[in-house]
Formats: sequence, structure tokens, C-alpha cells
Amino acid sequence: MTYYLTTLLVYAGVDVLACLAISLQFGISGIVNFSFIVFQAAGAYTAAVLSMPPDTANGGFQTYVLGLNLPFPYPWIGATIVGALLAPPIGLVVLRRLRSDYQAIAMLVLSVIASLVITNTPQFLDGAAGISLVPQPLSNIFNPYSDGYLWVYSAATVVLAAIIFVIAQRIINSPYGRSLRAMRENELAASALGKNSVALKMSMFVVGGAIAGLSGAILVGFITTWAPSTWLYPETLILFAAVIVGGRGNNYGAVLGALLVPVGFEEATRYIPPFGPPGLIPAFEWVCIGGLILGFLWFRPRGVIPERRRVFRLAAASQPEEERGGG
Amino acid sequence: MSLIVAAFGFGLVTMSIIAIAAVGFTMQFGITNMINLAYGQVMIASAYAAYAVNNAGVSIWLSMVVGAVFGALFSFLLNRTIYAPFQRKGTNLIGMVIISLAVSLVIANVLLPIVGYYSVSYHLDTGPTLHAGSIALTGVQIAIMAVAVVAMVLIYALLHFTRLGKAMRATAANPTLARNCGIPTARVIDFAWLITGALCGVAGVVAGMNSDAFSVANGSEFLIPIIAASVLGGAGHPYGAMIGAVIIGEMTEVSAALITPEYKQVAAFAALVLVMVLRPQGLLAKRGTLAAAG
Amino acid sequence: MAVDADAVARRPVAGGEAAAGAGPLLAARGISRHFEGMHAVEDVSIDVQPGRITGLIGPNGAGKSTFLALLAGTLPASAGTIIFDGADVTRMPTFQRARRGLVRTFQLPSEFAQLTVLENLMAAAPGNRGDSLIGALLGRRYWGVDEDRLVVQARVLLERFRMSAKESDYASSLSGGQKRLVEIMRALMLGPRLLLLDEPMSGVHPSVIGEIADYCETLRDEGLTILIVEHELHMIERLCDPVIVMAQGHVIGQGTMTFLRQQREIVDAYLVG
Repeated sequence: MTYYLTTLLVYAGVDVLACLAISLQFGISGIVNFSFIVFQAAGAYTAAVLSMPPDTANGGFQTYVLGLNLPFPYPWIGATIVGALLAPPIGLVVLRRLRSDYQAIAMLVLSVIASLVITNTPQFLDGAAGISLVPQPLSNIFNPYSDGYLWVYSAATVVLAAIIFVIAQRIINSPYGRSLRAMRENELAASALGKNSVALKMSMFVVGGAIAGLSGAILVGFITTWAPSTWLYPETLILFAAVIVGGRGNNYGAVLGALLVPVGFEEATRYIPPFGPPGLIPAFEWVCIGGLILGFLWFRPRGVIPERRRVFRLAAASQPEEERGGG
Repeated sequence: MSLIVAAFGFGLVTMSIIAIAAVGFTMQFGITNMINLAYGQVMIASAYAAYAVNNAGVSIWLSMVVGAVFGALFSFLLNRTIYAPFQRKGTNLIGMVIISLAVSLVIANVLLPIVGYYSVSYHLDTGPTLHAGSIALTGVQIAIMAVAVVAMVLIYALLHFTRLGKAMRATAANPTLARNCGIPTARVIDFAWLITGALCGVAGVVAGMNSDAFSVANGSEFLIPIIAASVLGGAGHPYGAMIGAVIIGEMTEVSAALITPEYKQVAAFAALVLVMVLRPQGLLAKRGTLAAAG
Repeated sequence: MAVDADAVARRPVAGGEAAAGAGPLLAARGISRHFEGMHAVEDVSIDVQPGRITGLIGPNGAGKSTFLALLAGTLPASAGTIIFDGADVTRMPTFQRARRGLVRTFQLPSEFAQLTVLENLMAAAPGNRGDSLIGALLGRRYWGVDEDRLVVQARVLLERFRMSAKESDYASSLSGGQKRLVEIMRALMLGPRLLLLDEPMSGVHPSVIGEIADYCETLRDEGLTILIVEHELHMIERLCDPVIVMAQGHVIGQGTMTFLRQQREIVDAYLVG
């Protein structure tokens, strides 16, 4: 029971982090980062190779770079930094004056390329087999299989998710968030009013990348294994579905979407008794995800929790009231 | 060296397959402004439709016709029931990309339980292997190239000599103007999806014929070389897509010979990204034909 | 081209006053824009004097809007230089020119649709410490004061343009004329030196046209320099001195409307287009 609940909490936390990042990039700034999963994977791989012993250990059955055996929290910090560092090269290549759908497809293709390259370069990150036996944080001090450890891990995940939530709130409720939203609405007009749209986009790309990297580190520290099959490009689509369903342009919607789609969905299908040939249930899941996206985009494109209208109080106080507005 | 020449030979077949597919794909984009990411899945579905018939004893060539018809109807329905309504609703370009991705997911995962995970192959006689220097191609492969040539000629004839074709070109160039000139754009679009859907179906079948075996997983693999060829030749331009297919077809096979075969796909994908970033209007189109703001 | 552009341009500016003494606020020299073999703008040189409303007119396809886009940086010039307020802005991107006080509006409605009217204005306002990533992360305590100040400033502007009641409405819900006013107010929040108005009267109800013209006059009297691209010749006549005429990418005349109407070549070019 402990194992089930703590797993649920950790996955929920990681999905919330991912959805917050996507919300900042897509919902607020209008960047369609279809290569998002690559950032999470980069974080996971980084945390793994930073925390693991050199690849000759454990009988040398896997090949990977580094292997610095660093203690917690360095692998997680490294993962966050790598997620952030990955953003400028990808962003500079893609965030140009392209049609938005071209940009999206270019990112999607980059995601597929990354997957192929990693798979076919076994010396780098052990190719298709992936990396396993990743040491859990602080496992040299505490017993990582004890109930206590699992609960602390999940608590830490939830706390980190809450911290990132606060950070995301600060961003979108600030004048900076307003500039981002203005750019999303009309990039040309925003530039004509002094907004540096390239800088704005890049900053959200970096912030989102950092959060994605962190989420990857948290996940890999828990499940102790990571392979290309974990981060295929449709995973990004699930996260986008979550943000579309939960509500774009606001963090509450992102959290709700994370809980409803990746978490709620996977959990719900767990309770369906296996029927039909093997693999039917996962296929059914994907069909439902696709249907969910189409259904919401048709009937309720703003999502369950729409972006709210911001009203400034008449008094001179500096608190803008927020009204739930379907607008 | 002979390896490269042999690869060049294979490239001829690959480019034929990509050409058939890319022309259909790019015309869908040109006429409806829709990047149909579900195209690869429709190809596979058509390939399976042909397989169902072929497996029951029908000749492969007749099965190809079945595949073409299946592709035509499927694509037509796809546009009528999903793409067009969303476009009419005013969904923006990104929304349409997400929608076509969702559709491709649904198609793939509806197909999977029906046809299963294991790969299948067509029952066909590959015919004699013909040699020209280091190039070795089977009868079927040469037939595929012939099919491609016939398809290209038919498309050319359609676009230049028929009223429908001219209406298609007008709609692609300027839909509002076309409508105002009395062209029934809705009907033109319907026909466009039928025809390009047929191309999609044929492409799926010949791709299946060219491989030892195929399965649902191949659907997404096809898509990226097709997009690459289309973008390379200028999105929306059928002749550009043909040229793009030539380039991509040769590139994938030759790079597989030069580097390792696993990187065959990476070469095409990297080419796509490079073209999109450096010259999104394609090699042929004049600068700036692509709108900057999406 | 039937008109000798050079001959027309060299004629003295009839009917206009001498400039106020200082040099031009904006000087464009030899501006050209070649695109796909077309010469949308060809060797255009103009001066925009401070404190006046300059008009830019011409038949369709004359290159007026393109030229305005070149001045604002929306499009890059193929050749020529633009000196604004003493600085060479030719290579500067739009947002830098805007920060220096060279601000443009758009012909098509360009409001920030999912933002309220007040937010539209606030989004434009510079000088807000919260308008950076670090500032945002530091929270309201850091930027609250700037925000309050700018809210007051924006509300004063809304009051002046008689749109206070619309403060919390989504900008997308406004009429064409109201959207145009929001755009102008937005531009004003930057405290511009030169305002480039791209067909501000287009798509606007006739009753609002006079209103916009009134605001332009008041702004000019307060010291703002304006360049208007327009088709509404009545308004141009009322507001603008000088008026520059373009046709087929060239400047073919300059002066007051009265003067220009007397120039045969210009009338011909305009009608023939």
C-alpha cells in the first residue's frame, strides 16, 4: 500500500512539474515545445550519470559516460542546469520567424532525432537498453526500501512541486507575465511596444527546460532506471493534452490537468480488468487520450479552468483582484 | 564504392515511394493548409487493407487498388469529419497540428488491436533480379518505380489539363479569390482529399511491398521523410515534392551505406530540421512565400 | 513613370511654414526595399520635422505601408539609412526603436485580445521593475510600487480617451474604433517621440474618425510628432502639414494638400495609380 501511494505521489509530483513547465511555455508564452520530453530525459540521464559509479561497476554490463558517484543533491542540481542549458541551442535553432506549425513540427522531429541518436550510440548512454541501477538519493545513509524513505521521497517531491508552483505563480502574475501574454497574443504588436520577443521566449524556454530537467531527476531517482522507451515523443503529447484539458494560461489548470490526465487516467485504466489481447489496454488509453484532446479542443478549448480575467481594484492598493472569468 | 552505387539503386526505389506519398501530402497542405500528421498512419491502414485482400488470395496489384480506394475514402472522411470542422471553427495552426497528432494516435491505436503487433508481408512474387553494374533491383522494385512514374504523370495531367486540376491550383493559390470566382471550393477540397488519399494508399502499399514485412509501428517512420521531401521542395508544390523525394530518397539510402544503417532515418530527419530552419520555403520556392507569423 | 520624381521633389514646399529650427526628428535617406524582384520602395528620402503631423498618402500599392514598416523596423530595408533622434537606427530591430521612442501602430486590429483594456496599456508601459524574470521572481513587494504608479498613469489615459468604463473588458470585445483608440493609448504609454500611425481611420466607424483626428491634433499641440499613412484625404488635409505623396515606390511630391492638388502630375499619378 505504501509503495502504491508513494509511487502515485511521486508520479503526480513529476507530472505536475512537467505540466507547470509546459503551461509556462505554451499556455503563457505561446511556445509549442514538442521536444519537451527531451529536456526531461536529459535531466534524468544527467542525474543518473552524475550519481552512478563509473560504468565498470556492477559487472560492467552497461556503458555510459561520466559516472561521478556524486552524492545528493548534486545530481539533481546538475539535472536542472543541464535542462536549462539545453534550451538555448534548441531555442535559437527553432524559435525563429517560422509559421507556428512548422516550429512545432521541427521540435517534434528534434525529439525523434534525439531518441534515435541516443538509441544508436550505445557508448554514450547505453543505447536502447538504457541505464539502470541508478542509486537513489542518500541511499548510502538511509535504507531506500523502507516505508519511511518512500514517504520522505514523496513528500520531498510534493514540496518541490509546490515551490515550483509558487515560482510559476510569481512569473505569470507579474508584469513580466503580462509581457509574455502580450507576446503570445500578438508578437508583432508586442515588439512594436518595446518587447524583445526573442529574449522573452528564450527565458521561458530556459525556465521550462530547467523545471523539466529537475522533474527527470526526481523520477529517475525513484524508479532507478531510464531508457529511450521511457521518453518517446507521444509522452510530450500527453502533457499537452493535460494542459489543454486542465486549462491553459494558468497554473491551477496545469496542476488539475496533470492530476486528471497523466495521473488520473493511468490510475483509472489500472482498475479496468485486463480484457482482450495483451496490449489492448494501453492502446485503448492512447485512443482515449487522442479523443480527449479532440473533445476538449472542440467543446471546451479553454480547458476546465480557463485563464482568468485580471481586474485591478479601484483603490490604490497594489493587489489586483482575480475574477474567474470565462470571458 | 559498389556499395554506394547499390545504395543509389535502392535510392531509386525509395524515392519512388516517397514521391508518391509526398505529392499527396504536399497537395493536402497546399489546398487545405493542413499539415496532416496522420498521413503516415493512413498509409499503414491502407497497406493493411490491401493485405487483408491480398491475404485472401487476391493479386497484389488488385490489392493495391483496394489500398488506394481505402486511402481515398479514409482521407476524405478524415477531412470531412475532423479537419474541416475544426478549421471552420477557427482553430489556429498549432491547434490543427495537435489535432492531427491526436488523430494519428487514435488511428494507430485503433489499428493495433485489430491487426496485432506482429508484422505481416504481402504475398507476391518479387520477380527476377535485374543487374546493372552494382545496382540490383527486383522486378517488384522496378514495378514500383513504374507505378511512381505513372502516378506523377497522372497528377501532372490532372493539374494541367482538367478543370478540376485547375480549380485545385486556384484554390491552393488563393482560396477566397477562387471562391469568389465561382469555384466550388468545398467540392474541390473533397476531391483533393480523395485523390491525395488514393496516393497515400498506393504509397502505403508499395512501401509494404518494398519491405520484408511491415507493422503498425512503421506508420510514424514514413511520415518524417515525407514531410522532409515536401518541405524541401516547397510546401504545397507537387513538383517540388517530387524533387524533394529524389533528394531525400537518395540521401537516406546513400547515407545508410556511408554511415551505419541505423542512422538512415537520422539523415532524413536532420535534413528536415535543417531545411525548416534555414530555408522553410523550400529549395525551389522563391524567398518569403511562407508567412512569417503563424 | 510619367512623372519626373526628382523635378517634383525639388520644388519648394509651398504653403508650409519653415521648420521650428531644430533638425528633423527622423531622416530617411535612400530607403529601398527589394523583395522577390519587386521594388516595393525605391530610393525614398524624407524628413519628419518635430512637433508636426506629417501625412503619407498615395494610391494602392504605392509602398506607403511598406515604407512605414521599414521606418518602424518591422521589415528590414534593402538599402538606405534611417536617423532617428540623432541615432542611426537602420539596423535596429523594432523593439529597440520602440524603446527609443519610435512607435508604430498597425492597420489591422492588433489589440492583445485575451488581455483586458487596462492590461493592454499596462503591458506597454516601460519602467516597471517587475517586467523582468528576476523582478517577477522577487514578487509583488518588489514591483508593487511601480505597478501602482503605472495603473494610475494608465487610468489617466483611459479617462482622457473616455474609455474608463471599458477598463476590465477583454480587448477582443471592443469595436473597431475602440480597438484603434486602445492601440493609440498603448503607444502613448511608452512616451513616444514619434508616432507612426498606419491607416488609423481604416475599419473605423465614421463618427470615430473625427474623434481620432481630434486626439491627433491635441497630441501634436502637446509636442508629439506624428506620421500618418492614410487614405482618408479629408483628415489628411485637416491634420497634416506637410503631406508626402508616394506612387510606385517613389516619393512624387511633398507639400500641403492644397499645393499638391495643384500639381497635375500628382493628381494624375494618384488617379491612374
